[in-house]
Amino acid sequence: MVDKNTGDKEEKTGITRRKFTLGVILASVAGAFGSLLALLKVLSPEKKGGGGYVSTIKPGDKLVYAKGGKQGDFIKVSSLNIGDAVLAYPAGKASNPANIVQLIKLKESTFKPPTHINLTGDGLVAYSAICTHLGCIVSWVRNQQSPDTSFTECFCHDSIFDPLRGAKVLSGPAPIPLAQIGIKVEGDGTLVFTSGFTGPIGPQV
Amino acid sequence: MILKWFDERLEIKKFKDKYLTKTFPTHPSFLLGEIALFSFITLIITGIFLGFLYEPSSKMVSLFGAMVPSAYASVVRIDLLPMGMLIRGIHHWSAMIMIAAILAHLMRIYFTSSYRKPREINWLIGLGLWSVTMLAAFTGYLLPFSNFSVTATSIAYYITKSVPWIGDWISRLLFAGDFPSSGTVPRFFFMHVMLIPILLLGLIGLHIVILVKQKHTEPLSNKNKKEAEGGRRLIGIPIWPEQGVISVSFFFFLLFLVVLIATYIPLNPIETYGPPSPGTPVMRPDWYFLIVYGFLKLVPGDLSFSILGGKITPETIGGIIFPTLTILVFALIPFLDRRKDPQNYIENPLRRPFMTSFGIGGGVFLCMLVVAGYIDVLHIVPATMTIYIIIASLAAWSISYTLLRLYNKK
Repeated sequence: MVDKNTGDKEEKTGITRRKFTLGVILASVAGAFGSLLALLKVLSPEKKGGGGYVSTIKPGDKLVYAKGGKQGDFIKVSSLNIGDAVLAYPAGKASNPANIVQLIKLKESTFKPPTHINLTGDGLVAYSAICTHLGCIVSWVRNQQSPDTSFTECFCHDSIFDPLRGAKVLSGPAPIPLAQIGIKVEGDGTLVFTSGFTGPIGPQV
Repeated sequence: MILKWFDERLEIKKFKDKYLTKTFPTHPSFLLGEIALFSFITLIITGIFLGFLYEPSSKMVSLFGAMVPSAYASVVRIDLLPMGMLIRGIHHWSAMIMIAAILAHLMRIYFTSSYRKPREINWLIGLGLWSVTMLAAFTGYLLPFSNFSVTATSIAYYITKSVPWIGDWISRLLFAGDFPSSGTVPRFFFMHVMLIPILLLGLIGLHIVILVKQKHTEPLSNKNKKEAEGGRRLIGIPIWPEQGVISVSFFFFLLFLVVLIATYIPLNPIETYGPPSPGTPVMRPDWYFLIVYGFLKLVPGDLSFSILGGKITPETIGGIIFPTLTILVFALIPFLDRRKDPQNYIENPLRRPFMTSFGIGGGVFLCMLVVAGYIDVLHIVPATMTIYIIIASLAAWSISYTLLRLYNKK
């Protein structure tokens, strides 16, 4: 039987030349693009060691200033007044961004659970400085009139954390508190870490 | 003489007679799309200048005795060149003007219902152009590699990561691994100067070819004129010389304005932000990202759940779902507001109470989200702000609807 329009001869299989050609073209296009999809795998590099923030702080690491003129110097307990806070790194481990902490000086008696009181020392408490929302570094908002009501805020999207209650989220989009980390004052007035973080650090995605 | 030489070979005259005599209807609001196009041209020209001097690498190098990423160092060196900072300012300002012009153009099309049949395809391409331009702006953010750039990109990295199911994979594809890592700057540079401009050029070409094929919508005043004459041709001025002269002089006038603005109002002073360092500056993104930024501030932090193994976090809602839904609403408009006969005239917005009031309500909603970006300055709690936004947009919608209905009854 001959198709009047195309002049195609229909074989017993019922496939015309036109349909067959179209099928070949579609299959080759699909095959070519399908093989290109494999490239997507190459473009997206493998994760290194789980990804995300992995802290390398060990108990016994000394705290040093993370920024400012005294960057890299040991932090002395005497240099902090009530209502002060500084960003700190474990000495020699500043290259890992997961290690940054905010060291806060308040009144020891004002700490309330869920703060781990056994991990504070001399009114000093340390929390991870990486906002749990989208990973900005948190800032300290000092109340000049009553320094002991100062608080931690992430200026990216205004998450506010309560330093007296385990860095609980007071307002804003952060999903979980900042993790606490243990510290204590050494005999010479310098500070050392005494534990790892109490919870997950960095953005929770 | 030279023209004749070319004409004998390329038949320029034939082309001129066929295309350059096309009619271009006139209305001041028809120039909005041209502003976007001209800003894009300015962006390409200044971008070529910057591309010769920029180093796409976050490797640390020494600059005036301090160790800084080489991308940052190269931008500081650009700023120190004669007019270097000005060119960078023109580039940044043109980007802002381009997005503003796209939005104004989009509003013009919406309120005059020029998106209707047969122009749905060009409406969709226009939305694509808007999205890709935002992508161009976003990839450009990172390139100076200042503290501001890195913080902003880091936020975008975690938003990308929060896409359910495939977020991890997409973020590694776009950011070339985890952020920050050494692969990100070269990959963003490639996207910013190659991939996205090519995509934009293609889409702009398509947008214009379709416009020429379908012809422009005409101002309403043409309708009566035409009916009186009984003609069916477009009323307007030919592309060359009339419209061409207007466009070319308009381009140079815009260029003059941009240079003037960039001279007096410098943007993105990277020397003030400094190289990446611990500590996040108090910062806000450029205005066109404030809608998403404001929304991110309002989503409560404990709003997180999972569906079929995909994790939905506040960042997913604010950074992914909300922008996607917004674009989707825009994309659906021509398919919901249908009409059988082709739309050839721009419509009077005052005669379309429902669509116009919907547009006003939606516009107020998006503007209020920009205000939400400032709740820290305004001292408003996120929950209160959410209520304000809902009330304001519903009020704008219903009041404008009622007023327009009354106006049309008269």
